[in-house]
Amino acid sequence: MDAASRPAVVIDNGTGYTKIGFAGNVEPSFVIPSVVAVNESFLNQSEGRSMGNYIAQYNAGIMADLDFFIGEEAVSQSRASGIYNLSYPIQHSKVTNWDTMEKFWQQCIYNYLSCDPEDHYFLLTESPITSPEDREYMGEIMFETFNVPGMYIALQPVLALSAGCSTPKPQMTGVVVDIGDGATHVVPVVDGYIIGSSIKSFPISGSDITQFVLQLLRERGELIPPEDSFEIARKVKEMYCYNSSSIVKEYNKYDKKPEKYIKQWTGVKPMTGVPFSFDIGYERFLGPEVFFHPEIYVDDFRTPLPDVIDMCVQSAPIDTRRGLYKNVVLSGGSTMFKGFQKRLQTDLKKIVDDRIAASNARLGGDVISHPVEVNVVSHPVQRFAVWFGGSVVSSLPEFHESCHTKEDYDEYGASICRTSPIFKGMY
Amino acid sequence: MILLQSPSRFLLQILQDRVLSPDKGVDLDCHSVEFDDVRYHIQVKSLISVLLQMTSLVVVIELRIGLQFSMRNPHVVVLSVSLPIPPPEAIFFDGLPFGAIEAIKAAYGAVAQILDPPKDGYNLTMKLNLSKLPSDEEQRQALLVKIASVREVVLGAPLRFVLKNLATKTVAPEMDQLIALVHRPKESFFLLPQQAEKVTVVYPMRFQDSTDIVLATSFLQELIESRRTAGLNNAPSCMWSPSPPLELKGAPAQALTANAGFVTFVIFPRHVEGKKLDRTVWSLLTFHAYVSYHVKCSEGFMHTRMRRRVESLIQALDRAKPESEKSKKLVSGKSFKRLSLNEARSNSNS
Repeated sequence: MDAASRPAVVIDNGTGYTKIGFAGNVEPSFVIPSVVAVNESFLNQSEGRSMGNYIAQYNAGIMADLDFFIGEEAVSQSRASGIYNLSYPIQHSKVTNWDTMEKFWQQCIYNYLSCDPEDHYFLLTESPITSPEDREYMGEIMFETFNVPGMYIALQPVLALSAGCSTPKPQMTGVVVDIGDGATHVVPVVDGYIIGSSIKSFPISGSDITQFVLQLLRERGELIPPEDSFEIARKVKEMYCYNSSSIVKEYNKYDKKPEKYIKQWTGVKPMTGVPFSFDIGYERFLGPEVFFHPEIYVDDFRTPLPDVIDMCVQSAPIDTRRGLYKNVVLSGGSTMFKGFQKRLQTDLKKIVDDRIAASNARLGGDVISHPVEVNVVSHPVQRFAVWFGGSVVSSLPEFHESCHTKEDYDEYGASICRTSPIFKGMY
Repeated sequence: MILLQSPSRFLLQILQDRVLSPDKGVDLDCHSVEFDDVRYHIQVKSLISVLLQMTSLVVVIELRIGLQFSMRNPHVVVLSVSLPIPPPEAIFFDGLPFGAIEAIKAAYGAVAQILDPPKDGYNLTMKLNLSKLPSDEEQRQALLVKIASVREVVLGAPLRFVLKNLATKTVAPEMDQLIALVHRPKESFFLLPQQAEKVTVVYPMRFQDSTDIVLATSFLQELIESRRTAGLNNAPSCMWSPSPPLELKGAPAQALTANAGFVTFVIFPRHVEGKKLDRTVWSLLTFHAYVSYHVKCSEGFMHTRMRRRVESLIQALDRAKPESEKSKKLVSGKSFKRLSLNEARSNSNS
């Protein structure tokens, strides 16, 4: 049985969480935090490992280069003992530490999936801002270390669009609003191709919302154990936050019926074991409001997300704009707030309608332009949209032909990863 | 992680989720593949989908019976396992290794029910009834882990049988010649249980990639070497040879082609006493995967060192830059360009 007949491994490396699984499944098998706890003691080891050194290590009970943990285990291990340093290999959707990234993949493959990388094709994802050098590194690690038979590096926004391919009307044109834990991008895709010059980024992402929720809680004087505060704020955000249609109405609602809207959080302090509790109030709707009023959180950026999306579409070629407005796709964990899709839809629609009304008024009623259809689409797999798209793409029969193969790598070197193998013969 | 883990994380996670929230009537249909072509397919059909299938066929009274039956259904998980294709010299009975059915029954008891025939394309299909799990937290967890290590139970059954005999120092009458056991698709390793007090295990080692062959060969030689150190006196003795050892005389020729030599372990009864048995079975069963994992790890380790070396060389080059250029870079503060060797040379010439 050759590698092409086995399901491909799909790994979506996000800043916050990494999604791992096999093609053909609906959900990733594992969702783990992208973090590695490394034991740095072997760095100081003398050059040229002698036998004596090995025995010293063996007697100490460690194999230092294998002494590391990833995911949840990394967090708990680094808390339990002082010899591990936490390292986040991906920052703002860009890989910054290839050593730990390689270790991370190694554990993903052998510990989590426990599969043999030589048996499977791999689909990895990259953000639209990844440089060609990073892609080369990715290929180098995959082909040199893991000997994978083939690999495809897919763009996250394109995958998020293909996630919708399972619906009756598949569309490969649309604006992908990808709000992850570390970075937010608005990416226009036309017929499966990204319009690179129109990519806009938004400086606020999932972890900023967490930070803002925490800030609000602290300012009100709620007592949260400091060693766990970020974790708790993250859970508060995930469980209670939502988007409202108007802040003023929401404030009134809370003031009239506090017992209905204000929630209680109870927990146990990890250090002392003392139970504690605090109230969750306005931050429930103020947290996600940052996307629509960034000025309440940061000083130097004042453009709301719907305006950024509008600017993005306006900068795209004119013949694609209607198609782009028609299909605004959400992806990433931080688009999961209740009411987020509705709010984005209303705000974006308003911007577009205002512009049309203005242009109609300017033309004085001689020419009436067609109304522009605006659709913000949310689908059930939104949270893992990128992974799911990867799973869909890599189960297509054409997938294996469009991969970078080991033979190509051996023949041409890592530079094959710079371009997409779909344009074979162009490099 | 130095040793590979026996329970499949994939299965364990799904089973634990099911046990914690059994009322979540979500359909589940997942595939997974492990090393050496062991495939899992795990399925849960919830109330609604079962009912829908039934309503189309049965009359009202029967529907009620169907309802009672399917009310319990969220607890029922159907797990199918497919094993690597055995080479001709390894013997399978009804698609399973020798003694597998007994091993499953002994390990899982009432929780698992073997469905015959298995699902198309799989070697074994089990119906797991999660409502029959022990109520005690610890026992339940232990049993779930055991279910997740189904690979060890099924593929390791014959090995376990032989090693159990070794522990009691008996030789089963039909088990006195060379035994071939499958561990990779179309590849097997060999057991020689002729004597009552020892079992010899021989692995022909094969790797695909030329770099892997070199690394694995030296890894195995190091393994033999380190076995001789004082701390490891009680470990099974092991040998490596580039040609087939004499013990494999009777084996078919195509099973004796190996590009990374042959490894022989001699297991004594003290290695399989009591609780050690499980660990020994698992380690022997996955020896090839273990070597392959460590070959990959050492490649990763070498890359780490190479990267560090390149970084230190680049730093040395940076230090060699003329003073004027350095200050220019500081002002702009934005230079991402790495100096190539040619440029460095031209800089030093100028």
